[in-house]
Formats: sequence, structure tokens, C-alpha cells
Amino acid sequence: MSLSLTSLGIVRGLIGQALGTLLGFALVTLTRALMGREEVWSTEPAWVIGAILGAIGFMIGVGAMSDWFKWWRGIATPFVHGPQAKDQPAWTRYFNVDYNHKIIGIQYGVTGFIMLCIGGLFAVIFRTELVRSGIQFLEPNTYNTFIGMHGWCALFGIFIGIGGMANYLIPLMLGAEDMTFPRLNAFAFWINVPAIVLLLISVYYNWDSGWTVYPPLSLRGSAGYQLVFWSVILLGMSSILGSVNLIATILRMRPPGMSLFRMPIFCWAILATSLIQVTATQLIFMSFLLLSISREATLAMPFYTPLINAAGVNIGGDPVMFQHTFWFYSHPAVYVWVLPGLGIISELLPVFTRKPLFGYRWVALSSIAIAMVGYLVWGHHMFTSGYSSNLRVWFMVSTLLVSVPTGVKFFSWLGTMWGGKLTFPTPMLWVLGAMSVFLIGGLSGPILGTVATDLHLHDSYFVLGHFHATIFGGFVFPFFAAIYFWFPKITGRMYNEALGKLHFWIMLPAFWMMSIGQMSVGVAGMRRRIVDYDPLLGGMTDFGLGFVEIGHVVITISAFLIAFSILLMIYNLFHSAEVGQAAGRNPWRSRSPEWQTPSPIPEQSFASPILIVGEPYDYGLAGSRYVAPTTAGDD
Amino acid sequence: MYGNSKKSKSETDGPPVKRASTDRRHFINVGVIVAVGTVALYFLLIGALPMPAPASSQSDTIDTLFRQHMLLIAFLFALVVGFMLYALVVFRKRKGDEGEGEHFEGNTPLEIAWTVIPLIVVIIFSYLGVVTLRDVTAGQPNELQVNVNSFQWGWSFTYPETGVVSQELVLPVDRGAVMEMTSQDVVHSFWVPEFRVKQDIVPGQMQYLRFTPVLEGEYDLGCAEFCGLTHYNMLAPVRVVTDAEFSAWMNVKVAEQGLQVAAGN
Repeated sequence: MSLSLTSLGIVRGLIGQALGTLLGFALVTLTRALMGREEVWSTEPAWVIGAILGAIGFMIGVGAMSDWFKWWRGIATPFVHGPQAKDQPAWTRYFNVDYNHKIIGIQYGVTGFIMLCIGGLFAVIFRTELVRSGIQFLEPNTYNTFIGMHGWCALFGIFIGIGGMANYLIPLMLGAEDMTFPRLNAFAFWINVPAIVLLLISVYYNWDSGWTVYPPLSLRGSAGYQLVFWSVILLGMSSILGSVNLIATILRMRPPGMSLFRMPIFCWAILATSLIQVTATQLIFMSFLLLSISREATLAMPFYTPLINAAGVNIGGDPVMFQHTFWFYSHPAVYVWVLPGLGIISELLPVFTRKPLFGYRWVALSSIAIAMVGYLVWGHHMFTSGYSSNLRVWFMVSTLLVSVPTGVKFFSWLGTMWGGKLTFPTPMLWVLGAMSVFLIGGLSGPILGTVATDLHLHDSYFVLGHFHATIFGGFVFPFFAAIYFWFPKITGRMYNEALGKLHFWIMLPAFWMMSIGQMSVGVAGMRRRIVDYDPLLGGMTDFGLGFVEIGHVVITISAFLIAFSILLMIYNLFHSAEVGQAAGRNPWRSRSPEWQTPSPIPEQSFASPILIVGEPYDYGLAGSRYVAPTTAGDD
Repeated sequence: MYGNSKKSKSETDGPPVKRASTDRRHFINVGVIVAVGTVALYFLLIGALPMPAPASSQSDTIDTLFRQHMLLIAFLFALVVGFMLYALVVFRKRKGDEGEGEHFEGNTPLEIAWTVIPLIVVIIFSYLGVVTLRDVTAGQPNELQVNVNSFQWGWSFTYPETGVVSQELVLPVDRGAVMEMTSQDVVHSFWVPEFRVKQDIVPGQMQYLRFTPVLEGEYDLGCAEFCGLTHYNMLAPVRVVTDAEFSAWMNVKVAEQGLQVAAGN
């Protein structure tokens, strides 16, 4: 039986996006023609309207709105788990609108992983250019675009990857059949795809400025900026809608016996993450919207453009205002990126130490505390931008304060390990690696959060060392831990342990080397976002190369090693899904509810509703249970 | 419970008995590891992250604070990784032992301690942070003012006392300098790594940066805020010279540019 391409939702969606985009182009062009404009075609307004109508076209084409359209017509659509399209191979479910959170979780997870790889690919390319001083093959214009693309593609990977972990695991951890709003869940996943399309098209237009798109630079030059703004706005919609769903699910769909302080700790991490996303994301929508309409080719609004009057006073807009509104979102956003991963660490340590999570309540509340304090620190991204020096002091203090709840997590993890019976399969290695890497990232924070030292380090490679370490330790390493840990549950097969360990033992030292390399060249004076650097920067060494240039060799080698190790992982996952050993129901002997289901999990995850009769992490307490035993027999 | 019993196979068939996790000897061992680790790591960090030459009076203050931070970082890294590595070795599951770990859920006094002590450290470093900030931004007597104009993609320096315009920044050693900076177009940023201080230059605002050069030499000013196509190449030479050399240079520039100089300069 041949499969027609248009039977796949994603293909229909992309066609819908193309048609919507063309409609947008047509509407703008027609308006300009009717209004008698000389130049009938204007790229930017065409793309803005095209992007919006294209996204709508995609969502209609993929089928994410079809149930709602039916409701408007008075047609009921009873909620049913199972393939929406009959007579199609199982794999096509992942390319269609599907309401099962497990399918959506995989869709999110794989899409996120792909975006991480695309982001990484941009990095591998420009790291090759940077390995030696001088411009070897990458033109400045292309380099400047690639660093921004690396940033946004990787960040898309993080947001979407978090969506994967959360949407797959939360209902399972709550013994729930699905999320509170399954159709909204599908919608929130699919909106990411038109966003990704727009982001990737933007490369053609060569926009620079880095992911932070500061005006006035982002108000000039390439039309590609509009695609970036609108792609991020769409991504933000996914964040908000997904978070609403997660909050509702966590608060309303816990099983009997599962009070808030008896939830798996990952649920607390996602609750805190979702609270941030649902309240902060609006700020990036607003700041990017204002950028979009402040460009000359659209409405030329003066929000960020100064206007100096005769007396020398600025009576217009202020570029620094963008920085405030941008970072008011983007700082809490970094806690979105790391709180889920830190939750994974807390979730997995008890399983591999066979002990309770130390200080569960403190760990749970530390996620909420980080979310709250994280709203008060944004000015540390702007210490050198010229705002009041006294205010800089307050941002410094609030920034240093975030280390307190973060420390509570670290010490709790040590308490969880202390006195345990530790084993080190691949997921545990990634958890321990995550801790060491997040430690590097976290400890390099206060020195940036202190104004006087930041005056030297701001916009240097030291900042790159800090945030790559916090991101890899807080997201990438835990994401990999989660993938290896739940792989047997998802596929019913074990991944290859030797390859998993090899992946880890290549990537961990490579990443440490990269972090130290970045911090070192930054302290020595290496600026960010530059395609070329002085070969004598940092002084000549005895090795015939400048200090900073040696640093760049180290960083580039590390990048290649990391990329190679990820190829090993991809091979491992595909190969093991085909021919891996049968995993059984609970290879890790975990107490968590999802491990009480068969592997792989059937369409209906739980044969009967679960009942919680104890604490989640009472490993070592003889006779204790978390989930009440069912008649089907269990561990 | 287990008291001082050493790790050994018991006479009967049972799992080997070893020290309880709360045994003092564990903490003494870790304490030693952490102490040694702190010292080793501190020197490794200082060696791996060398600062450029301390060419301004701000450099000294900032480098001292940097080293204080490095000491704290070394201690905290050694503390966490020390406990972690110790646990990985001492509390690993032995072959054949299918038992679970020790069952304890937490320790409230410990939680309070490791919340309050970091809070105190935060307060101490906040104080250090405030005084260094005050220190490095303080005005000096008889400051030399230089008007810095930044644009895509270069720099221009004007000395208001004489009206001299220069493409290189020449400064007399040991005299406080204040940069008054403007941008013609987008956000730029003034940074000479040897001077340690940095200030963004935002169009529509006058920005100020103070520093006192204390080391004669040649340095590079690089733009530190991405500003477009050749941001990487937005550089200008900086020279710190003696007073006499500075005056001589100024006189030459005045003559070159045909300027009238006010008397008593």
C-alpha cells in the first residue's frame, strides 16, 4: 500500500504554511498596489503578514484546529486515544496531529533533539573558522549570521526538548491517562514547526546581531530579522500554551494519595518551570513585536530610537529599554532551561543510590524559590549599559542570592548519594556529569554577577564559558540522562550500555575542556561574536601560538569531540530500538508510577487508576510502597 | 549502630559490614580532600585564567576581587566534587550486595545551616562588590577628559582641552582619565582588557568611563558590543606614555591640525 505524502499532517501543514505565506505576500502587495505605491513589493511587511498567515495556514493544514472547527459547527468530537488516521503505518502518527501525550512527547523530544543538532552544526562550522586567527573560509557576514542561528536553534532545541520531557512524563508520573487539555497539547507542539521553518529561512537573509537582537542594530539591515522575531513569537506561544496545560494537569490530575509533597520531584520542577513560562514569555512577545514594528520598512515606530532635541535631551525612545524588556523575560527563561534538568537529577539519584531524595520538601521549594528570585536579577545582563550605578548594586545582590536555593539542591544531591548503594549505568553517569558541569557553570556566575569583575568579563568569552556550562549541566546532560533512562520504557528495549558509556566519557572531558578554554580566553581579553582575533591576544607562548589562539584550538577540538559523541548516541538509539535486548517492565527497579506500566507503554498507559500509599523515594524502607500494588503482579 | 567496626566479611553469611555514613572518619577524610582540593584548585584556576597586564589602578582592585572569587570557587568546587567523588568510591554498590541504601529522608538543622551559611557568604561578597564598585568608579582630581566617538566601525578621540582629534588614544600615565562617549549609530562598547573596565555606548546618551592608567605601554581598544559586519575589527591603538611624552605628542598634533591653544594649558 503506497503512502501518499499529503496523508501526512506535517506535509499538509507545510503546504498550508506556504499557501498562507503567499496569501500574506499577496495581501500586502495588493494593498500597496491599490494605494498607488511605487514599489509594490516590500519584503518586510510581506514577510510579517506572510509569517502570521503562514503559521495559521500550517496549523489548519496539519489538522491541529480541526476538532475546534467541528465544535464551532456544533459537531461533538469525543476524545479517543489512538491513531487519528486509519489504515496507516504506526510511524505516521508522529507526523500527524495526535492527542496521546506519549506521541506528542516523542514529537517534542525528537524535534528538540534535531534543533540541538542543527544549532550544533552552525557551531561546528564557525568553530572551524575560529581555530586559527585570520579569516580562513567564513565571511564575516555569514559568520555573524551563524552565531545568531546557533543561539536561536539551540534555544529552540532546549524549549522543545523540555516540552518532550514534560509532556511525556508528567501524566505518567501522575498515573493520568493524559494531560488536562490533550488537543491544546497537540496545538502547542505543532506551532513550533512553522516557527522552525521561519527561523531556518532567515539564514537566507543573513541577519546579524546575535540571538539577543539589540536595537538599533536589529532595526537596520536585513529583512531576516522579521523572520527571527516572528519565529520566536510563535515559539513563545507554544511555551505559554504548553505551560498552562502542565500547571492544570499537575494541580488537578494527581491520583488519590498523591499530595503535592508526594509527587515525583520532576513534577515540582515542571511546575516551577511552567509558572515562569506562563508569566514571563509575554515580555519577549512584546519586545520582539515592538522591534518588528519599529523597523523602517514596517511602521518605523520610535520605541527604541533616540531623538535628541535642541537642548540635547533625548525626547524619543531608548535602546536600553529593549534590553530591560528583553532580559526581563530572558533571564527567567534561563531558569526555564535548567529547572527541568535539575529535576531530572533529583529524580534519578534516588533510583541509582537506592535512598530517599534528601530533603524532598526543600528541593521542591527550591525550584519555586529559584523561579521567584529569577525575576529580580535581569539587570545583571546590562551592568555596562549605563543605567543607574546604585541600581546595579541591587541587581548584584539579587543575583548572588540565587545561589542560595541552587546550593540547597547541590547539597541535597550530596545527601542523597551519601550512605547509598551507588551503581553507574549510563543514565547515572550523565546525572553525575551534569552535576559537575552545572557546578562549573553555577560557580562562574557570582563573578559575573559582581559588577566590578563584570566590567572586565561582560561580553567576553568568559560569559560563554558560564552559560554553556549552565546550559549543558542544567539541560543537555540531564536530557541525555533522561533519554537513556526512559528509553527502555519507551521502546521496550535496552540501549547499548558500552556505547552509552563511550558517549559519556568522550563528551564529559571534552566539555570540561571547552568550558575552561572559553573562560580562559575570555579573561585574557577575547571578545564575543568576533570572526577574527589578534594572533597575539593574551601574549605569545612558547608554543609558537598566542595564548588565546591555543585556547581556540582547545575549544574547537572539544566541539568536534562533542559532536562526534552525539553521533554515537544517535546510532545507539536507532540501532537499539531495532535490535536492543528486551528491557522488561522495570530494569531500574524504580518506584515511580511510569515503571508500573508495560514496556513499551500501551496506548492506554494504566490498566486501572493508581492509588498512592506512601512516599515516592522510600528506597531502603522495608515493606514500603509508593504505588499500591495492582492484581497484575509487579516488582 | 555499626560503631567502629571495620569493613570485613562477617563469620556468618551476610553482607560485609562497613562504617555507617555518619561515622566521623568519613567526614575527616572528606575534609582533607576538600582542603587539599581547594588549595590545588585555586592555583590551577589562577594559572589557567590569567588576567592581562594590570595597566590601570582599577586593575588592581578588580584583580584582587577576582582572586577572592576564585578562592571561593575553588573551595565550593572542591567541597561538592570532594564529597561526590568520595561517595562514588565509598558508597558504591559492592558486588553481590542487593540491599538498599541507608534510609534517611533529610536533616533539618543541616538544611538550615546550608541555607544560612551561603546567605552570609552572599552578604559578605555583596559588601565586597559594593566597595569595589565604588572604588573603581570614583572620580579623581585633575581628570583628563577625552571625548570618544564610536561608529560603525571605528573610533575617534577628541581632546577638548586643545581640540585635537586623533585616531589613537594617547594617555598620560598616573592621571585619572574620563572618557565621555557617544555613538553615531548602534550600541558599541569601550573595552581595553588591560584596564579592566568597560562601558557600553548607547546612541542618544552620553556615557562616562573612568580609569587611571598606571602602566606605560601599548594596548588595543576593541568594541565589546556586537555592532555589525566588521565589529571584530573595530579597534583602535591605545598608548600610555609619560607626562612629558604626552605633552610633546599633544603639541605635535596641535601644530598638525593648525589649532589655537589656550594659554596656560
